[in-house]
Amino acid sequence: MTAETHPTGPRRRRRRSTEDGRRALTAGHALVIAVLALVFACLLNAPGMHKRAFNQPDGWKRDVALDVSAPLADVSHALLLDRPRKLLQRALGRSSEDQINTAVVFTPPPPATSTTPTTNPRVPRASPPPKPHKLAFSPSHPLRLWIAGDSLVITPGWAIVRASGRARAIRPATEAPDGRVGTGLERPDVFNWFTYIRQQLRKLKPNALVLEFGGNDDHSYMTGLPKGVSIGSFSSPSWRAEYRRRVGGLLDTATREGVFVVWIGLPITRSPAQTQRYDIINSIVEAETRKRPGHAAYVDTYSTFASDDGGFAQYLTNSSGKEELVRAPDGVHFEPAGGDIIARMVLKRLNEQFDLTTWRKHPNG
Amino acid sequence: MLFPTATFAIFFLIVLPLSWLTMPHPHRWRPFMIVASYVFYSWWNWHFIFLLAGSTLWNHAFAVAIHRARVQSQRKLLLTLAVVGNVAGLAYFKYYDFFVSSGDNMLAVVGLDLPLSIRTIVLPVGVSFYTFMAISYVVDTYRGDFVPVSLEKFATYLSFFPHLVAGPIVRARELIPQFDTPRDPAAVDTSRAFYLIATGLFKKVVIANYLAGAIVDKVFAAPGQHSSLELLVGVYAYAVQIYADFSGYTDIAIGVALLLGFKFPQNFDSPYAAYSAQDFWRRWHMTLSRWLRDYVYIPLGGNRKGSTRTYVNLMATMLIGGLWHGAGWTFVIWGGLHGTYLVVGRLRHGRDEAPPVGAALWRRRFVTFQLVCLAWIFFRADSFHTAIDMITGLFTQWGQASPLVTFPVLLAIAVGIGSQYLPARIPRELMERFSRLPVVAQAGVLALGLMVTSVMGPEGVAPFIYFRF
Repeated sequence: MTAETHPTGPRRRRRRSTEDGRRALTAGHALVIAVLALVFACLLNAPGMHKRAFNQPDGWKRDVALDVSAPLADVSHALLLDRPRKLLQRALGRSSEDQINTAVVFTPPPPATSTTPTTNPRVPRASPPPKPHKLAFSPSHPLRLWIAGDSLVITPGWAIVRASGRARAIRPATEAPDGRVGTGLERPDVFNWFTYIRQQLRKLKPNALVLEFGGNDDHSYMTGLPKGVSIGSFSSPSWRAEYRRRVGGLLDTATREGVFVVWIGLPITRSPAQTQRYDIINSIVEAETRKRPGHAAYVDTYSTFASDDGGFAQYLTNSSGKEELVRAPDGVHFEPAGGDIIARMVLKRLNEQFDLTTWRKHPNG
Repeated sequence: MLFPTATFAIFFLIVLPLSWLTMPHPHRWRPFMIVASYVFYSWWNWHFIFLLAGSTLWNHAFAVAIHRARVQSQRKLLLTLAVVGNVAGLAYFKYYDFFVSSGDNMLAVVGLDLPLSIRTIVLPVGVSFYTFMAISYVVDTYRGDFVPVSLEKFATYLSFFPHLVAGPIVRARELIPQFDTPRDPAAVDTSRAFYLIATGLFKKVVIANYLAGAIVDKVFAAPGQHSSLELLVGVYAYAVQIYADFSGYTDIAIGVALLLGFKFPQNFDSPYAAYSAQDFWRRWHMTLSRWLRDYVYIPLGGNRKGSTRTYVNLMATMLIGGLWHGAGWTFVIWGGLHGTYLVVGRLRHGRDEAPPVGAALWRRRFVTFQLVCLAWIFFRADSFHTAIDMITGLFTQWGQASPLVTFPVLLAIAVGIGSQYLPARIPRELMERFSRLPVVAQAGVLALGLMVTSVMGPEGVAPFIYFRF
């Protein structure tokens, strides 16, 4: 029976079914459903979309995304369509996920206890003096180590966790390295490390902190600038001053809590231009750690991961003479063998700062 | 271009109407779909569209030559050349560094150096999938099962974006005839398509990504730092993660193809409900299993040359299957374990075993799942050393605290495994009910599903596991 001869009327079309007997629709209907579903989903997810738009790299795409998502979020809010998302987030304990926090706030320095001003401008006034004796740790009283940073810290972080298990006098403060992909110190809106580190230091109470930042910071755009401050392009004096403020502020936040910081520098990468940008970040970090002797140390990965001719090395020869893959295919991140190399460097620094081995001489003492 | 992204949503909303508008005119539809698929593919790395184009030209030329050749020896030579070309391309992009570093390390034992250097070659996404599809096309032509089609049709088949980067591995005789028959725009199976897309997204974004971040990545990164219970749950979690990840991708691919009017073969059928290794391979990555059966196992002789040769063929097929997944010895071991399971299963139960029933069925399912999980350890571990640490830790680290074993982790595992025991009528009824809803209500249900997936999934879009294969 054709559609034209259907008894209920010549204009009414026969409903099509699939082989399984379900109602089939036209391609036009499929398109309408897809478009409407996406429009509805955009309204239901508007707060999240707005945050994602805000977090995008600076440029026209971000501008367009913000121009679209901001009014969408307003409409969604006005029609109460953002409620289901918020309710579900609250039920899952993830209420803060749509908030945009760009505050770059550091722990204020403690009130000065001495009237004698420091004569050494390289030592920050707020930092306590270097400790005269090495603090000793043992398996029964282990050093609590927290590892945090961008994606570059994840593989070395796991290597440090594995190595600390063998060292026994070190215990990671968290189950896993706190490596967050696509984050850094330039964009607290993407992830606010300044707030997070301050909170975590108080919560986890580590003795030492391994940091690695900068892998995503080689751009000209920063959020969370102090009022009235603007920065120039990447590596301009104003950019350097602000980045230095952020690195120094993080170091001071940690050292004021009595936490020793090991900062892993950025490695040489396959891209010479990127390596050049990383050099600039490394120079700022290295200078800031040098200003805090006894409280912070810098681990230089640049030369370690360079080939004999000074270029990028994907493979390195290990102590057994075997070639090992140390860098990931992207030419930036590390493979586990590369992480093991960094872990040894970090543990060396920790051993220089702390006594992690005396317990072996008096295992029962 | 990843399926669960806004970029793909925009791309698809442009392609969907244009595809249906050009469908009645194949001479317009095919070039349009080739361009769309190449745009989709070039989103990762535009350089590799030349590799895809090269593979298309190479295999089309050989398929036509094989079809035209009248002398058997000539046909065989052409087939050999075509297959060697495909395998050589795959070997260069996927296995060059693996072979060079393995060879170098082996020669270093006797104090020699391999005169080849490592090149750090970037793996073109999807190369394993479309190379296998191209090989099947040429072999089918050689066998007389398929008559080569025009270059335009073959290019459409090989590059068709829903299957391009991670399958299913669709045969030419399954898809090309559909290209020849304009799809009916009045009868699109939208309920099944949207059901597959929505559940696929949920499986990938919520189940797979959550389990990866909550436990799997942690236990496999440092097995020595976790309790036996965490390692055990971590292995089960990986079994669910890889299933949810890969079957989720396949579901989306099948759903997207359905919206365009095309039917892809099923790729998963509740694999963790399998009662034997043989049954598992009938249910897991089914299009790869049948490819290996038809183009490796049977050409090797299959079961036609005696029992010993059958076992050798089974093992060889699974070792090749293992190596197909990745350039590493852990994948070879994974394939070897499955080969061993198949051989032992064949020895114990014969070829055409009747499915067990009652308690025996559940016992066999349980044992099969444990054996599959044991093999997954090698599949997931970044080195043989890590895999051994995982297995050792499963027995030696009991009694420690297990903070990673949380209720949400156990729930996600239970959902992942439990869903495979759902009666088939439940999804059928869901689709049936969904199909009867008005269009606007269908859109509303889908939007709610997208919202739930977005909120429950971890931030960011992790790539699909099978993209690296």
